[in-house]
Amino acid sequence: MAVQFILCFNKQGVMRLVRWFDVHSSDSQRSQDAIAQIYRLISSRDHKHQSNFVEFSDSTKLIYRRYAGLYFVMGVDLLDDEPIYLCHIHLFVEVLDAFFGNVCELDIVFNFYKAYMIMDEMFIGGEIQEISKDMLLERLSILDRLD
Amino acid sequence: MGSSLRSFIKDVRGAKTLADERATITKQSAKIRTKLRDDHLPHDKRRLNIQKLLYLYILGEKTHFGQVESINLIASDDFVDKRLGYLAATLLLDGSEDLLTLLTNMLNNDLHHPNKYAVSLALTSLGFLSSPELARDLYPDVENIIKNSKDPFLLKKALQCAAKLIFKDTSLLEIFNIEDITEILCNHSICTHGVLLGVTKILQSILAIGLNREKNDDEGDIDYKNDILSPLSLLLRDFLTRLENLNSKNIEPGYDVQGICDPFLQCEMLYTLKLYFQVGELMDSNSVLDYKDNFCDLLTRIATNTDCTKNSGQAILYETVKTIFSLNLNQPLRVLGVNILAKFLAGKDNNTKYVSLNTLLKVVPQEPTAVQRHRKFISHCLQDSDISIRMRALELSFAILDDSNLVEIINELMKFLAEQDEESKDSVVYTIDHLIDTFDTYVVKDENWKLDVFLNVLKLVGPFINYEKINDILIIINNTAQLSDKSDFLQKLLTISLDGKSAEISDDNIGWQLVLIWCIGEYGGLISSGNTKSNTEVVNESSITDYLLNLQECYTTTNHKIINYILTTSLKLSVKFHDPKNIEKLRQLILHYADSTDLLLQMKSNQYEIFFNQPISTRKIILETMPKFEKITEKQNNVKNISKNLISSGPADLLSDLLNDDSKTDIKPPKSGNVKPLDLLEEIFGEKKNTNDPPKSKENEGSVNLPLPVSADSDVILPPDVPKIHDSTSLNVYASLLSADSGSAHIELFFQAKSPVFDLQIFCAVPRAQKLTMGQLYPSSTIKANQICKQSLKISGSGKMKLRIKLDFHLSGSSSAINEQFDHKFEKTL
Repeated sequence: MAVQFILCFNKQGVMRLVRWFDVHSSDSQRSQDAIAQIYRLISSRDHKHQSNFVEFSDSTKLIYRRYAGLYFVMGVDLLDDEPIYLCHIHLFVEVLDAFFGNVCELDIVFNFYKAYMIMDEMFIGGEIQEISKDMLLERLSILDRLD
Repeated sequence: MGSSLRSFIKDVRGAKTLADERATITKQSAKIRTKLRDDHLPHDKRRLNIQKLLYLYILGEKTHFGQVESINLIASDDFVDKRLGYLAATLLLDGSEDLLTLLTNMLNNDLHHPNKYAVSLALTSLGFLSSPELARDLYPDVENIIKNSKDPFLLKKALQCAAKLIFKDTSLLEIFNIEDITEILCNHSICTHGVLLGVTKILQSILAIGLNREKNDDEGDIDYKNDILSPLSLLLRDFLTRLENLNSKNIEPGYDVQGICDPFLQCEMLYTLKLYFQVGELMDSNSVLDYKDNFCDLLTRIATNTDCTKNSGQAILYETVKTIFSLNLNQPLRVLGVNILAKFLAGKDNNTKYVSLNTLLKVVPQEPTAVQRHRKFISHCLQDSDISIRMRALELSFAILDDSNLVEIINELMKFLAEQDEESKDSVVYTIDHLIDTFDTYVVKDENWKLDVFLNVLKLVGPFINYEKINDILIIINNTAQLSDKSDFLQKLLTISLDGKSAEISDDNIGWQLVLIWCIGEYGGLISSGNTKSNTEVVNESSITDYLLNLQECYTTTNHKIINYILTTSLKLSVKFHDPKNIEKLRQLILHYADSTDLLLQMKSNQYEIFFNQPISTRKIILETMPKFEKITEKQNNVKNISKNLISSGPADLLSDLLNDDSKTDIKPPKSGNVKPLDLLEEIFGEKKNTNDPPKSKENEGSVNLPLPVSADSDVILPPDVPKIHDSTSLNVYASLLSADSGSAHIELFFQAKSPVFDLQIFCAVPRAQKLTMGQLYPSSTIKANQICKQSLKISGSGKMKLRIKLDFHLSGSSSAINEQFDHKFEKTL
């Protein structure tokens, strides 16, 4: 049970957040190819009538959800439990929203390093590490002030 | 952070065209590269450039040149720099060993840093970068935090890191101390949900090692069962109680997700417990298995009490069901599990339907009747708008099919086929394949109904059916016992095709036409003799003849397969029709192809013309009804013996000789030459014939288009004792020296793919004094995981036998080619 990668991109396929958790196998060309494939696959799916899960390769399936114009995608093992990862995504978006205050795409574009900070407080090496929104926000506001 | 980053991002975003954007990015990227190379660059500028670089990384630009610089930032005393450095390192590093070594030292320092936020950064990064080397070097530092820190914030991260490190280097199990975990669990002030998550992760790591260990039979120095599992099982009681408390609604507001208390932790705990019992069973450990009843009780409670209407509840229930089936727990629990999945199916949410169908597919073998009970919901999913759900519902429909529900399910499937269009070709093909298999496996009493099913299939999706499956359908028709059923079937086909409503059948419905033409040839006599309740105004000898002529004109240039069928049918009809005018028309039809440019048609036309000139009595024998055809699924040795008794079964005998070794499907020749197949036709015509004439069955073989057995993708099998000469992450290569006489050698190379390999190209070189001839790569240049393909090499010349082999191939999910090269020396000398 571990997330292999987290992506966030808009409807045009411009990446907003990219995080690979398995650093040792990442090769920039291959990951770019994979990203392009993932975008094509997900953007072609019916937003209303299709499930939020889709098999991607022999080792990966995608769990995704669209919030306004932004897709949040997680790559997980084929045997993993899909619904709980939807909860992961939702929690992440809720925290982003609370942290930025009604978050929009531009917040993430200009403050991508803060979005990564939030992601890294929630996930460690692809595993979820904190689930309490209050605790996360409290911690994040301290970290944010350290600037 | 600085406004300069903002304006940088704005510049990139502001580009009006793609070319503009590219130009801006290339310019900025070059600028960053030069700046970073400058050793005298002021500190704040350095930081800024790394930030810009990270933005370029997100956009997918090349950023490797910033790797060293980001590690340098980590060394800074300034926390903000350190934080940026770690972020850059975890994003930009690509696992190159040198840089990781550089990083080890910094991580080591920061794990002891007085600032807990610096420690936290180091832990987070270690979680990303855990390699076996880092694991060995840094585990003691992480363990130190687990033992001494009272801060849940650090503790949870340290636990997660330890889980990763132990998994990377299993020898760490020897140092790992379970009491550290026990202490944490006892200390309420530090045991937050985050820390508990960390604990589940570390347990999962250790248990997963246990599972793998037994499989690999690699015992090592540790007695896993006694030294690891027994102490670990002391935590079980505590774990079960915690999970029960979590689940039983004592809501803590901070962890509430849609009315469920911390579904994340519940899922992780369930998963951990599942691993416990898997390992326990594997190692037959009583210390674990003693708790099994408690666990079953708890699962029952979770399954009954958890709210299944919300995503968070579903996640827990789903994990529960998976646990029940992967441990194959008792029957009532399994039925409960299936019922939960059925509840998911009945809902409207496509996510839960998808998950449920996927899981049901897996559990059908364990609990078939329970799944069958929910057939209604499964059939309902056949109508879903999501193709992936339809496809799974389809698979599941066939998986639960048996004698008791055959008719209902097939009727559902007909409804399903009626709604398919061009885009869902895959699911149609899948349905037809399985439908044919189904009729091969199950005995259907009402054969009339069975033929109706195929009539519908042909009508609905005929254009999608490939020739091989058409042949299978023809066999099924041919093997139908009652002649009246077959003639009814033809009657229905003809009525649709001939009575002007043929708009129902489109021109590209080749499947329909082929079956119709074949059936006319075989059973046309029954229609024309007026032996059925036929509507003679629409269906009669002349209309059938004209129809064939029309078809022939229609497809004369486009589809030679159909013309082939028409020729054979025309010949067969020559003995079944009575009206000389029609028979002459058919003869002309055949003659029409006597000088066809298609060699096969030309040959057929000429051969048939010769038959045509034989007296009718001879032709009748030649054009006897097809005998019953049997598909043999297993290799049957007696096939040969039977066929040897047949004077006439030459071709079949050769075929079975050829195919017996490597083919799964086979054709059984007619049972015996002197047992007469059903001879109703001749009874109808009132002419009794001596049926033992040798030429008869021979011509049966020759004149009718019956399927030749297609050898099922004959897999290449690796011969035993072939030495491995190359082993990479994607392929194993083996070489077998078949012969090595003076001056020439024959070698076979076997390529075994570890994961699917595409477009494999093999280049070989031999020393100058030798010449190399390469055969074809067999069976193809695409190899599925674990399958093998073969390449034969012939070497002639003299001297030592050396090969240099270069491989080019693609892996799935990547378009860039991978190259591998290696040398191999054989011991023999030419």
